[in-house]
Amino acid sequence: MEKGVSASSGNGADIDARASAWAIRSAERALGEQEQKELDSWLAADSRHLGAYVRAQALWLDLDRVAALDGGARRNPSPPARKRVWRRYAMAASLAVVVAGGAVAYDQLAGRVATGRSEVRRIALEDGSIVTLNGNSAVQIRYEDDIRRVVLRRGEASFEVAHNSERPFVVSADGVKVRAVGTEFVVGIEDDGVEVTVEEGVVAIAGRASGLAAPRYIRRNEQFVAAATGPRKAMLDSVDVERRIAWRKGLLVFNGQRLGDAAAEVNRYSDLRVTIDDPTLARAEFMGVFKLGDARAFANAAASAFNGEVHRRGNELVLVRQQNSPSH
Amino acid sequence: MDHGARLRWFARDVLPHEPDLRKWLAGRLRGLDSCDVDEVVQEAYARLWTADAEAIRNTRAYLYVTARHIVGEQVRRSRIVAIDLVADLDALNIVDEEMNVHRRLSGQEELARLHEILQTLPPKCREAFELKKFQDFSQRRIAEHMGIAESTVEKHLAKALRLVSEAMKQAPAGAENGKRRERKFWKWG
Repeated sequence: MEKGVSASSGNGADIDARASAWAIRSAERALGEQEQKELDSWLAADSRHLGAYVRAQALWLDLDRVAALDGGARRNPSPPARKRVWRRYAMAASLAVVVAGGAVAYDQLAGRVATGRSEVRRIALEDGSIVTLNGNSAVQIRYEDDIRRVVLRRGEASFEVAHNSERPFVVSADGVKVRAVGTEFVVGIEDDGVEVTVEEGVVAIAGRASGLAAPRYIRRNEQFVAAATGPRKAMLDSVDVERRIAWRKGLLVFNGQRLGDAAAEVNRYSDLRVTIDDPTLARAEFMGVFKLGDARAFANAAASAFNGEVHRRGNELVLVRQQNSPSH
Repeated sequence: MDHGARLRWFARDVLPHEPDLRKWLAGRLRGLDSCDVDEVVQEAYARLWTADAEAIRNTRAYLYVTARHIVGEQVRRSRIVAIDLVADLDALNIVDEEMNVHRRLSGQEELARLHEILQTLPPKCREAFELKKFQDFSQRRIAEHMGIAESTVEKHLAKALRLVSEAMKQAPAGAENGKRRERKFWKWG
């Protein structure tokens, strides 16, 4: 490696172009004897050739990962298959279950709607509002002449509210009341307390469990949490909000969350659980887009991103690091 | 580490630093017309590849120090060099400084960027690339599918990689303020 960067020989972009050609050849098929010789002598001629060749190979490999995520997100916009039969309530007249796309017709108003794991339901209400129910969640819809009431019993739901100032739209969850004024927002009953995230417009928050003396307004890209430790508000950006509501489209999106937290999200929708035994691995930052409930795809992607392996143990997919993985 | 594991390490731990390294180099090399950014990166990668990867604790720091070293060799080789460049090289404490600021691009930004780059590929080239990467077709199947020779498929793929590789050299828009989006909490009384 004595050469350093010499003053003239060839330009960097040309070297990269040749390196790309070699990287494709060697990645996609076995090289012929003559080709191998040619490659070897090209690599030996200048250390920069080796550097460019390594770069091209690594890029081609990296494109795999990104292409897999990208291809998955773009080519499979369809929601996870739902084979379960809708639990009919006596009053629910005509319900079709869809995650994205057409909405459910819903003309009876006192019905309770619940979802199991790995399903997301979209319910169209008579006034044009839409409720999307996350996995393992339940709501009760009680429309009256002068008020539209929805009670979130458990889990998480998103609301796209049709504007009607004569007939307020109020969601209650564990003693927290969220009043919408023509808007889109998400309410979830989390371990930490009731969480309200506003996507569009404004909501007013009140209720005995909100911890508030007077109603407070929460706006677009803001989040309110009625935590046991007291109410708090967080500013999110639109990317974060989008990520948090990706479940509505049947997707889970991670962009730098810890792998352990990501696995917990995945497990929320899947009977097959992803377990990470290695604490270092659980702290690693992870990115990817997955269909809800596809624990296997998640485990495999995580394994390939962190040079690990997936072992099946009963109902679990256990993620472990390869013995020879680099120490990072 | 075998060849495959090493390449994965490179893809995961080294490549993400490249846009920043290039930007840094472009600023340093202005006075040196005999030495271009591509070449310094290539030389640095060659040294990183032959180094003992297990012993490299901090890839970014190692990469910067190696690159700085290469530039230094070049500076010593040239007869006439602006004084401030030499001073700059010695005074620079890139490692501490840059380590804190550095954030990896978020997954969505990376996807969006790749998406854009792929849109700019010539149609045949892009088709071959997508069949290869998205559909996992073999070269032979791509050739049959597109009605072209296998060697042409290979040329298309090589071109796709070359164009992506050139496009990836440009620093992405989001890299500059790549600090983690912080959520600000405050309490209500």
